[in-house]
Amino acid sequence: MDFYQGKVLRIDLSKATSAVEPLNTDWAELYVGGKGLLLRYLWEEVPPKGDPWAPENPVILMSGPFAGTNVSTCSRLVVGCKSPATGILNDSYVGGSFAPEMKFAGYDAIIIQGESPEPVVVTIKDDVVSFIPAVEKYWGMTTSRIEEAMRRDFDPAAKTMSIGPAGEREVLWACLSTDQFHKAGRGGHGALWGHKKLKAVSIRGTGSVAVGDDAKVFLDDIYRIHKEYVLTEDNLWAHEEGTPVLAQVMSDAGVMPTRNWSSGTFEGVENINSDSFLKIRTRNRACYQCAIACRQFHQADGVAGEGPEYETIALCGGNCGISDIVALMKFNAACDELGLDTISSGSVVGLAMDLTEKGVHDFGLRFGEVEGYLKAPELIAKREGIGAELALGARALAAKYGHPELAMEVKNLELPGYDPRGAFGMSLAYATSDRGGCHMRTYPINDEVVAGTLPPDTLEGKPQRIVWGNPAEGMIGENFSAVKFCGIWCDFWAITPEQIAQLFRHLWKREVTEEEVFRVGERVWNLGRLFNLREGVEPDDIPKKLYEEDGAHTTGASAGRAIGAENFRKALQEVYQIRGWDENGVPSEAKLAELGVDVRL
Amino acid sequence: MPHVLISSKKCTGCHMCELACSAYHENAYRPSVARLFSEVNPTTAAIKGHTCLQTACAKCQEVCPQDAIVTKEITVRVKGDYPSLEKNGEVVKGYVLVVDEEKCTNCGECYDVCPTGVIHEHPEREVAFKCDLCDGEPQCIAFCQNPHVLAVDLKVDRMDKELQA
Repeated sequence: MDFYQGKVLRIDLSKATSAVEPLNTDWAELYVGGKGLLLRYLWEEVPPKGDPWAPENPVILMSGPFAGTNVSTCSRLVVGCKSPATGILNDSYVGGSFAPEMKFAGYDAIIIQGESPEPVVVTIKDDVVSFIPAVEKYWGMTTSRIEEAMRRDFDPAAKTMSIGPAGEREVLWACLSTDQFHKAGRGGHGALWGHKKLKAVSIRGTGSVAVGDDAKVFLDDIYRIHKEYVLTEDNLWAHEEGTPVLAQVMSDAGVMPTRNWSSGTFEGVENINSDSFLKIRTRNRACYQCAIACRQFHQADGVAGEGPEYETIALCGGNCGISDIVALMKFNAACDELGLDTISSGSVVGLAMDLTEKGVHDFGLRFGEVEGYLKAPELIAKREGIGAELALGARALAAKYGHPELAMEVKNLELPGYDPRGAFGMSLAYATSDRGGCHMRTYPINDEVVAGTLPPDTLEGKPQRIVWGNPAEGMIGENFSAVKFCGIWCDFWAITPEQIAQLFRHLWKREVTEEEVFRVGERVWNLGRLFNLREGVEPDDIPKKLYEEDGAHTTGASAGRAIGAENFRKALQEVYQIRGWDENGVPSEAKLAELGVDVRL
Repeated sequence: MPHVLISSKKCTGCHMCELACSAYHENAYRPSVARLFSEVNPTTAAIKGHTCLQTACAKCQEVCPQDAIVTKEITVRVKGDYPSLEKNGEVVKGYVLVVDEEKCTNCGECYDVCPTGVIHEHPEREVAFKCDLCDGEPQCIAFCQNPHVLAVDLKVDRMDKELQA
């Protein structure tokens, strides 16, 4: 089977056993790989309406068909589960080199189930799977140390996916780490691994990925595709500057979360914008099989490493009132080592600062004060001192102190770095995202702020863009991101539906149209909706101050703008209509049949 | 004589060279049997490239008891026609060391002396395998698609340049 390995590795942590199963090729045909295939396996493997913490709730590592080939950016891995934070689907993507290594070891996917009685590390060398006791030896290690230990103790070329101390203590936004700086960040996979007592999965593969009768034909086409579509101005901004370039843009547009979302304009942004990071940049690195090389390394007083990316700059910088670039880098490095998602970390710390400044409760954290700020990640990861309360997450923490309106989250996933009050389309993006507060499913702010091709202060025409995007102008809609994440292409390759069709021709050995590409995406998005409805998803909504009239900003470029609750609800209904869903967001039988979705509620 | 070199300073650690190398020689992607490799430390981002220096080294040829490492004439054409690259179409003539699989007995003497660790036993064919510059179209260079610099580059020995001059 070209591109696929045709094998799934099932690991049972309760019994410390593993088994190899054939990949379901019917599903692979319908849902391709990555996100789509992950959702189909989750539908089957997650006990309906079950407790996310239960041993039966699996964690699935899924590759895309192009992992382990020359196709740029397709080294991405998707990790999926029913999230302990949100109670719905959680697909979290991570670059690096883990997915290709998994393919070379012979597996398209790894399904992890059960719960180990004692902390454990799972090592996989091609077809040899071992369960190594982790207590004392590995448990407690930070993410860089466990990776080093695996290279030393298991295989010098091992690729490791691990949790840090935050995951061990089941902090709700603990993440998975690989190649040290790469995180499957969102939705609490790290917490679930910690609960299952799984410290790390370390893998080494020496096999091959076949791409057809004559690999040279494929090689030549990828050479052409890279030249024409990858190494272009559309993508190389990520190599030249990277996402820090967004900091100034977003603050100027009044959409950069500042001091727990009390402003969209950060007066200290000059100290943490792209110009400031360029001064301390040391080198560029790439993920496996990627020509773009967007990983920016920085070095400043006593701290060196990759990042931070824009979301971290926004949430851990502006949102905490921090404009000290060294402090921001240290906070980011601490989160990396402890295994904490930076979006949620910055959101929760900003909330605690807000509660302190408002006199609700003194957490010893104040906007812009570096000392307490730098201690927070470790206290959260170890659930010590104020960390014990902060580890509740934004929603529970704000509720505990009687101020639920201060928690900036959707479906209990803390929001990323774009304030919808200055880019109205983002309100729909957050509300309809299939994993809660997320900017990766559709990115209308590209049109509204970055490119300036759509007015930012209206929802008119936005529902259509949210669903279908505007590929000609580079805007990604939900259906298109869903098929991109099947590949698994990274957002830094601004790939078009036509280019995906060209690559699917190699996969399916036949002509492929753009319509077919979109159809896969729409099918996958509907499957995700069915999964969330089955598990009991909250109504689609966002924090009310982001659309109510009295929530508008008073300063900056977005001052005085309000979406209006009525407009927001109307636009949401319009999204459902475009999708062929009813007023509660339930897909119609006709739509599911049209798309060939093979499951029903 | 022409050989490939990876610049540890310019390399981004994308491993495209290893992938292309294995696809060309093995008809499938299998970087564990690539003829060159880039060693990347994910924590420090330090990189060390490993390539065959061909006749500039020739340690494998010196120790081979079967004379199975053969000097072969070659014309190398660099493919890499990106705007930022100047090497496109460069032609270099010279010699390359290749394994005569008829003569190779897999005795392993060359594996022990190779200073860059790029001659190994093939996992299936049970003979030595090494870089042959892809018969004159090095795929590693073509796929070194680092946006601005060629990290995997074609080098010619100084002595050889002097001889040709």
